[in-house]
Amino acid sequence: MALIISDVESKLLNLKDEDIIIENNGHIHPCIGCFGCWVKTPGRCIIKDDYSDTGEKLGKCNELIIVSKCTYGSYSPFVKNVLDRAISYIHPDFVIRKGEMHHKRRYDNSIIMKVYFYGEAISEQEKETARNLAKANAVNYDGLVQKVVFLKSRDELRGMSL
Amino acid sequence: MKIAVINGSPKKSDSASTTLLKDLKTCFPKEISFIDYDLRVSTMSPDIIEEFNQFDALVFAFPLYVDGIPSHLLSCLCEIETYGIENKAIHVYAIANCGFYEGKQNRNALHIMQNWCEKVGLIWGQGIGVGGGGALSSLGKVPLGKGPKKNLGTAFNQLAAHILAGTSADNIYLSINFPRFLYKWAGQLGWRQSIKANKLKVKDLGRRL
Repeated sequence: MALIISDVESKLLNLKDEDIIIENNGHIHPCIGCFGCWVKTPGRCIIKDDYSDTGEKLGKCNELIIVSKCTYGSYSPFVKNVLDRAISYIHPDFVIRKGEMHHKRRYDNSIIMKVYFYGEAISEQEKETARNLAKANAVNYDGLVQKVVFLKSRDELRGMSL
Repeated sequence: MKIAVINGSPKKSDSASTTLLKDLKTCFPKEISFIDYDLRVSTMSPDIIEEFNQFDALVFAFPLYVDGIPSHLLSCLCEIETYGIENKAIHVYAIANCGFYEGKQNRNALHIMQNWCEKVGLIWGQGIGVGGGGALSSLGKVPLGKGPKKNLGTAFNQLAAHILAGTSADNIYLSINFPRFLYKWAGQLGWRQSIKANKLKVKDLGRRL
């Protein structure tokens, strides 16, 4: 199953029936850094809105597809908000991975990431930051990045096989 | 000289960013004053953005979230870009801290800040990436430059000198002066104490849904 986190209208995306899409309903709360998703309601964000179970959804997918406006080499505020609210995908305990401290796995699934960044004037520096950001996310998820694609406009997503 | 100190932590109190900014201020001569801002939510008033024009330096401090900038702060940065800042002589400095031990893990967040400066037309000054951020709020009483804050003291003195001189420099990445294995052990002990305080069992830390 692929989990798609997207800041564009789903009608632009070529979705499969089994895919799960997380999109902007205009009412997402930001992460408040409380770690309740680790120590109060383990596995689930304590903030009550439509995005509290993203960590669980990440635990059930084998592909994570991110569609986002490239924002200074980061994901857009909405996509980043969803990811910030989903740290319950991983376990609070630490492991040393590739010589660096990261978090232990909570789930057994292995995530393959595909990231589609769009934007009119993405600089080379922003592209480099964006690639490194996706790579760093994959290390923290103990997964892999399959591809990072840069598009000049969201319209290029229409009909594209993700 | 006018310096804005911008706390990008969503926490109202006891954040590592608060401790870091407090420590940084001790590196400046007494006559330097600061104006403090808290960006805790995803939107900011245009009046505040307008106020930023009066400063020589904007100094941000924020926690690393999922290898980048917390979404509420990112959203504020977008609003600043949209509104625009007329004073293009402003230097921007940033201190990112992460719960991981290695300060280098803040590099992408600092590069995002740097890219933001480019878009808004401000001058990137310097970034400091601090590792071991999970311990900082409990080290509030430890003087900067001493014990676990030795590396931090060296970096902050350099940062303060660059802010005062209005100069730019390479980013600095550091860890607290505390062994990694002990930091890891103490962190994990902390999670166990927290989950028990919530009347759950240690095994619930790994609960699968």
